[in-house]
Amino acid sequence: MLLEQIINGITLGSIYAIIALGFTLVFGVLGIINMAHGEIFMVGAFVGVTTTGVLGWPLWMAFIAAIVVTSILGYLLERFTLRPLRGKKGVSHLAPLISTIGVSILLENLSHHIFGAGNKPFNTPFSEISINIGSITVYLVQIVIFVISILLMIGLTVWLSKTKAGKALRATADNLETASILGVDTKKIIILTVVVASAIGGIAGILVGMAFNSVSPQMGLSMGLKGLAIIILGGMGNVKGAMVGGLILGLSETMLVAYGDSGYRDAIAFIMIIVILLLRPQGIFGSKVSQERR
Amino acid sequence: MLGEILNTYYLQIGSFILINIMLAISVYVPLSSGQLSLGSAGFMGVGAYTSALLTIHFDLPIVIGIIAGALAASILGVIVGIPSLRLSGVYLAIATLGLGEVIRVIFVNWDTLTKGSVGLTGIPQLGREILEFARGLGFEPAMIGIKNNQFVFLSIFIVLLTLVIVILWFVVRQQNSRVGRALSSINQDDKAAESMGINITYYKVISFTQGAFFAGLAGALFAHVIGYISPADFSYHRAVEVLIFTVFGGSEVIIGSVFGAFFLTLMPEVLRFVSEFRYIIYGILLIVLMAVRPQGILDANLLKKIKIKRSKGGVR
Repeated sequence: MLLEQIINGITLGSIYAIIALGFTLVFGVLGIINMAHGEIFMVGAFVGVTTTGVLGWPLWMAFIAAIVVTSILGYLLERFTLRPLRGKKGVSHLAPLISTIGVSILLENLSHHIFGAGNKPFNTPFSEISINIGSITVYLVQIVIFVISILLMIGLTVWLSKTKAGKALRATADNLETASILGVDTKKIIILTVVVASAIGGIAGILVGMAFNSVSPQMGLSMGLKGLAIIILGGMGNVKGAMVGGLILGLSETMLVAYGDSGYRDAIAFIMIIVILLLRPQGIFGSKVSQERR
Repeated sequence: MLGEILNTYYLQIGSFILINIMLAISVYVPLSSGQLSLGSAGFMGVGAYTSALLTIHFDLPIVIGIIAGALAASILGVIVGIPSLRLSGVYLAIATLGLGEVIRVIFVNWDTLTKGSVGLTGIPQLGREILEFARGLGFEPAMIGIKNNQFVFLSIFIVLLTLVIVILWFVVRQQNSRVGRALSSINQDDKAAESMGINITYYKVISFTQGAFFAGLAGALFAHVIGYISPADFSYHRAVEVLIFTVFGGSEVIIGSVFGAFFLTLMPEVLRFVSEFRYIIYGILLIVLMAVRPQGILDANLLKKIKIKRSKGGVR
C-alpha cells in the first residue's frame, strides 16, 4: 500500500517537476514569472485531447502536435507581451507579471469558449494495462509518464550543460549584458528560452491528461500555482531545485490524499510557500547571491 | 416625485460600482508601495464569510459583523505579508495568489461551517436592517414619497457612497503625509529608501494590510448587499478583475482606480454582448495596456494637462 502510494507520488511529482521546469527556465533567463505558463500547459493538454480523441491520432503524434502548438504560443507570448516591455524606460518590474496574467486569462477563457467548461476525458490506448509485482499494481501509464519525464529532465540537463545553445542560455541567465558583449545573440536566446519552456509545458499537459484522465480549462491555474510553489521551494531559476521540489510536492500530496483529507490537497503547495519563505527564502537549492541580483 | 426618479436597477449598479471602487483601492494602496497583491479576492472572501457567519449564527448587528470581517482580513494580511514582504514583490504576488486559492479551497471543504460550494444564504441584508431601524424611529419611506424597496436600495447606496468618500479622503490624506511619502519612495527605489532610514518592511506591511482591510470591508459589504455568497464569488478571476480595475484606470493615481472600477463595471451593463466575452476582453486589455500604456489610462501627466486646460478656460 505504502509502496503503491510512493509510486503514485513519484509519477505525480515528475509531472510537477516538468511544469516547474518551464517556470524556472523563463525566470532564470528573463527574471520574470511567466503567469501564462499554466495556461500554455492547459492548451497542450487540449491539443492532446483533440488529436487523440477527436482525430484519432496515435499518442506520439499528439506529443508532436502539442509541442508545435505550444512552441508557437511561446513565440507569440515572447513577441507580443514580453518583448515590448523589455528595455522600455519607466516600466515597473511588475509589468511583465501583469501582462502574462492577461495572456493567461485570455487563453483560459478562449478554451472555455471553444471546448466548454466541463472536464474532457483523455483516453490513452493502454490506460487499463497494469503490471502486478507481488501485491503492488503499477499502471503502464505511470511508467510511461515517469520515463518521459526522466528523459526530458536528462535531455534538458545535457542540453544546458553540453551544447552551445545551452551554454549561451546559461550565460544569458547569469548576466545578460556580459553575455551580449561576449557575442551571444541574447535576443535569440530569450526567444529560444520561452519557446523551449512552452514546449516543455505542452509535453507536461499531455502527461497530466494521461495521469488524471481528464482535462479542463481551469486546470492551468491550479497546476500553474503548484509550479510556482515548486520553484519557490527549490529555488527560483534553479533546474535541480525544480526537479526535487516537484518530487517533494508530488509525494506529500499523494500521502495527504491516502492518509488525510483529500479536499485539502491543493492547499499543501501554498503552505509550503509560506513555510519556505519563513525558513529559507532562497529555496532549497537557491543561493543568496542570486537573491541579491533581483 | 422622488419615487419616480429613483430606479432600483440603477441604484444597484451604483452600489456594485462603489464596492468595486473599494476593491480597486485595496489593490491600489499596496501597489503604491510597489507591492502587487493577487489576494484581494481571498481577503474579500474572508471579510464576507466572517461577517456573514457572525451575523447569521450570533445575531450580531451588521455593523459589528462588517468591522469584524474587515479586521479578520487585515490580520490575515499581516500574517501573510510579513514573511513574503521581506523578499521582492514577485514573491508577494505568488504568495497572495496561493493564499486566495487556499482560502477558496477551505471555503469549499469546510462544509459544516461554510456549507461548501453551495454557499451561504439568508445573510441579513443591510438595506432591510436600515429600513427596520428607520421604522423603529418612526420613519416611513412613504413620508418622502418612495416605496420600501426604493428606500432599501437608496440607503445601501448612500452608506456605500459615504464609506467610499471616507476611504478616498483617508488615502489621499495619507499620500500627502509622512507615511505616503515613505510609501512612494519605496515604490521608486526601495534600496535608496532604506538608506534614507525608512523602515521598508514596516511601511510595506502597513500598506499591504490596509489593502487587505479595504478588501475585507468590501467583501463584508458585498455579502450584506447581495444576501448570498459562495466560494465562486471569491475565485482567482475576481482578483484579476480587481487588478484590472486598478491597472486599466491608472495605477499611479488614486482617481485611476475609481475611474477603472466605474468604467469597467458599467461597460458590461451598457453593452450586453460584451458581458459574455468580458474576460477575453480583460485579457487583451491587460496585454495591450502593459505594452502601450503601462501606467493606465489616467496618470499624473494627463491629470496635469486637464487641469491646465481647465484653468486656461477659466481665465478667458
